[in-house]
Amino acid sequence: MSFLDALAHVDPERRAIVTAAQTVRFADLVQAARGLAPALTGRHLVLNHPDLVQAVTLLAAADGQAATVALMSPQHAPQVLAPLMAELAPDLVLSLQGVALAAAGLQSAIAGDFAEIAVLLPPAPTQTAQDTAWVLTTSGTTSTPKLVQHSLSSLTRTTRSDTARGRGQVWGMVYDYTRFAGLQLVLQSLLSGACLVLPPQDVALDVQLQFLAQHGCTHLSATPTMWRKILMSPQGGSLPLRQITLGGEIADDTILASLARAYPTARLSHIFASTEAGVGFSVTDGKAGFPATYLTDPPAGIGLRIAEGRLWVRNDQVGAAYLDGRGAVSQDGWVDTGDMVEERDARVFFKGRESGVINVGGNKVHPEEVERVLLSHPMVQMARVYGKANPIMGALVMADIVPVADAPDTIRQEVTAYLRARLEKHMVPASLRLTNGFDVNAAGKITREG
Amino acid sequence: MSISKDKLDSTIRRIFAEVFTMQADGAPAPDLAGDTILLNTGMDSLGFAILVTMLEEELGFDPFSLSTEAYYPSTYDEFLTFYLGNQPA
Repeated sequence: MSFLDALAHVDPERRAIVTAAQTVRFADLVQAARGLAPALTGRHLVLNHPDLVQAVTLLAAADGQAATVALMSPQHAPQVLAPLMAELAPDLVLSLQGVALAAAGLQSAIAGDFAEIAVLLPPAPTQTAQDTAWVLTTSGTTSTPKLVQHSLSSLTRTTRSDTARGRGQVWGMVYDYTRFAGLQLVLQSLLSGACLVLPPQDVALDVQLQFLAQHGCTHLSATPTMWRKILMSPQGGSLPLRQITLGGEIADDTILASLARAYPTARLSHIFASTEAGVGFSVTDGKAGFPATYLTDPPAGIGLRIAEGRLWVRNDQVGAAYLDGRGAVSQDGWVDTGDMVEERDARVFFKGRESGVINVGGNKVHPEEVERVLLSHPMVQMARVYGKANPIMGALVMADIVPVADAPDTIRQEVTAYLRARLEKHMVPASLRLTNGFDVNAAGKITREG
Repeated sequence: MSISKDKLDSTIRRIFAEVFTMQADGAPAPDLAGDTILLNTGMDSLGFAILVTMLEEELGFDPFSLSTEAYYPSTYDEFLTFYLGNQPA
């Protein structure tokens, strides 16, 4: 069943999406998507619009019609996006950054509103309806994203399309919908017939929480870092939550226990998800990690095992693949998640990324990228970047540097200012230590363990 | 040997101001009253994370990892009391 068919099964009068600007019912979404669908048959589309109603309308119209719909975050810079979009040679891009994208060299047709699409793309009689590929991007906002191909069925594998279940449920949305976790949340909410509430962006957290509380938010999914912020916020307690979900970072016992105390009647789940594997599972016992019994008796539809200190997953159903076959992601059906794990006391705990990637409040930081910028500074001779566990953000970026011989006393301030001008805030080392030299391992590489 | 309340108070205020100014590109830090909601000062999660790390470097401990109780302080007084009450034994 296509996304649009599924939406048409929900009570049409039910609220589907509430934003600061508008409230739309399922009937409104279905009607708009039906009008749009014929123009999208066989097309390659890119979705880069910040408005969730625009996005969902396009997705509903595209699924089962278009060849490809690629979701790219409006938070990415147009210069990063334009070449990535061009790779897909889209027939149409839905975006508010049209001028900047065109200036960055994108040749495709760009619509700022789905209502413009019918003008830009007249229905093509030679095209046939397709099983639509849903393409998502991986990685952070600055490093070049990779494209990963999914389908509606792989994205909704764990979703029960039971529209009776969603009655009375109000799902808060604090994620970016173009990301794996955000898109899953959008799909789960809509396919279960729940109401999705998107608080206004670019306002204080308290104002966002107030908006969610006013609209009766019962289900909220956020990173552990965001949950800590919610608990530190006076409005946090006003949310009438029944389901609390944590994802995107390792959930520790402290945040789980704090949430259980703040919302004693809510169900508490923390999610492990691998974009590469298109796999996710949740843990609902309120404790960090997951029960070791999952290794022999895994959640439905997947397999879990530990090899070489890392977690491997097997998706029994449709798997994801990098576009153009770049980087084979699967071996005998098993995918290396790259997450280091440790089995202790009949439980499996996550220990961070094998690649050394630092997860700063859900934002992935590649140490090499920060090292490269550090080394481009004339006063820095050697640099080592690593993560340090932090109770608020999960981890912070730290750096040790070896200064050049004639470096002035102000080197730390100068290098920090240099980094701040070139990197996003969460990538700038929270602490810059001066040192005389590093241990170098047998391979001639600086050892990165912090 | 535990650190006195006055010493903790002045250390936290000094480092808070330092982190705030750095995160806010030079803007001066606001005054902290006891009932100031920390997140309403304009400092974000990243700022708090850095504050906790810099305090650990200065004071030699991180109360969040030492505390047996799961707790996130909301006001400045709560933050100070949390640091005072969760020093290493």
